Amino acid sequence: MLTQIGSILADGIMIGLIYAIAGVGLSLVLGIMGVVNVAHSAFIMLGSFFAFELFRRFGLDPIISFFLAFPVFLGAGVVVYRLLITRVETAAQTQGLVAMFGLMVLLESLGTIAWTTDTRVITVGYTNTSMVVGGVVLANVKLIAGALALLLIGAFWAFLRFTLMGRAIRAMGQNRSAAMSVGVNVRQLSAVMFGLGIACAGSAGVALGMVFPFSPNTQILWLAWAFLVVILGGLGNVANTLAAGLVVGLIQTAAAAFMPFDYVYLVLYVLLAVILVVRREGLSGATRRAI
Amino acid sequence: MKVSAPLLEVSNIVAGYIPGHPILRGVNLRAEPGKITVILGPNGAGKSTLLKVISGFLPPEEGVVKLGGADIAALPPHRLIEHGVALLPQGRSAFPALSVVENIELGGWTLRADRKRLREAVEAMLSRYPHLRPLQDRAAGSLSGGQQRAVEIARLLVPNPSVLLIDEPSVGLSPIVARQVYQELVAFKEEGRTILLVDQDVRAAIKVADFVYVLNSGRNDVQGDRSAFEGDLGAMVRGWLGV
Repeated sequence: MLTQIGSILADGIMIGLIYAIAGVGLSLVLGIMGVVNVAHSAFIMLGSFFAFELFRRFGLDPIISFFLAFPVFLGAGVVVYRLLITRVETAAQTQGLVAMFGLMVLLESLGTIAWTTDTRVITVGYTNTSMVVGGVVLANVKLIAGALALLLIGAFWAFLRFTLMGRAIRAMGQNRSAAMSVGVNVRQLSAVMFGLGIACAGSAGVALGMVFPFSPNTQILWLAWAFLVVILGGLGNVANTLAAGLVVGLIQTAAAAFMPFDYVYLVLYVLLAVILVVRREGLSGATRRAI
Repeated sequence: MKVSAPLLEVSNIVAGYIPGHPILRGVNLRAEPGKITVILGPNGAGKSTLLKVISGFLPPEEGVVKLGGADIAALPPHRLIEHGVALLPQGRSAFPALSVVENIELGGWTLRADRKRLREAVEAMLSRYPHLRPLQDRAAGSLSGGQQRAVEIARLLVPNPSVLLIDEPSVGLSPIVARQVYQELVAFKEEGRTILLVDQDVRAAIKVADFVYVLNSGRNDVQGDRSAFEGDLGAMVRGWLGV
């Protein structure tokens, strides 16, 4: 029994870390810029296929793809910001939402054209290996993906906390006009922030692709997971998003251990509904002021 | 530390938030270098709107804003500080979740390429406002109104601006703290900075003013040096209120 609990905890933490990285970009873009990026999950899906193609064509390990994905998706995010977000950010929020929804549908459709709806997996040397620690079996691939996710979340947190640019991004989320009056080019910094959000999505896609099977239309599932983490963690706070990811990962793993897998979604979405009714700011009580 | 400030001139400004419905209808103004120029007027006269135009937040439909002879009307707000123009907005503008020192440091965003200079500028502000030093790691949002205003002023001065645009500096402050803020404005003037002050506190503003402009319904009403306004202030305010 103890071993089973240990396995659930370890699995839940590792999966939770990956969920956290899937949610963190969405949370920060929403919290700091006010953009509801429903296309976030489409970039997660593209991240998975980015790793898949690099592995299939060049035999590149997904660990390397994880680090490559960050700058590639950062650039893609900046382009999307310049081409799309700048045109809708001053319009009513519904227009932005419709634009991002359109982008999500477009990316999923392009993904289906390129890769069909077949489910893919990335199988590398360590995919089906594991180690035993204190009687608890730990899947190596989950350990690696979880560690990569933790590394990226830590780097992101440190960037926002300790660098002048990170502080300027936080300041922009707290008082946009005051940030402009100290000389911050909010348009430029918003492009960087959106790019970072998409970079997190791309890297999250690589980590998810290492652990779970994927296809272009699984992105809608990732969108639900990412929003669940954001709603649970509150907006724009890296530490709270990490905690929320861990909660979702642990609940999912625990539920999957004791009931049929289909019920796992029921448990998570009942939890989501309860949170929305009882505590709309998420478990942490975090709001935009905590950015 | 003496600052060399340029002349700020505003000519025939027409501006508003809805095209065809201007708030400002041809406003003219000169803020002399190293002086405090005050803009007064009843609610809705266009005082804050004029500051928004000068600070780049609201592009004018017509007119020119000149700083030392160069037109700055088309510059976006973040470029103004490069020309030595800094804005202290109305109400609370400290970044509440950032610490005091992080707030002050962000005031030097335009100095970021020279980290040594930025550090020295932040240190100079902590020395100028020593009561902020023990609070430097506290979140600005957790401070009192007066302390937050001190953070905002310290942040304003980090890039050593020559022109200060100040919008309603005493709103929400206790009378003692408000008095200190006006004393600070006089200190800025003595350092050679040009100050353009928009205020509702007529008496306090006139006390520190060198020159006063009164706006009414988006137009220049009366203007003159301080002595012209020190007489019957009550009559002027009653005139605004129409009683």
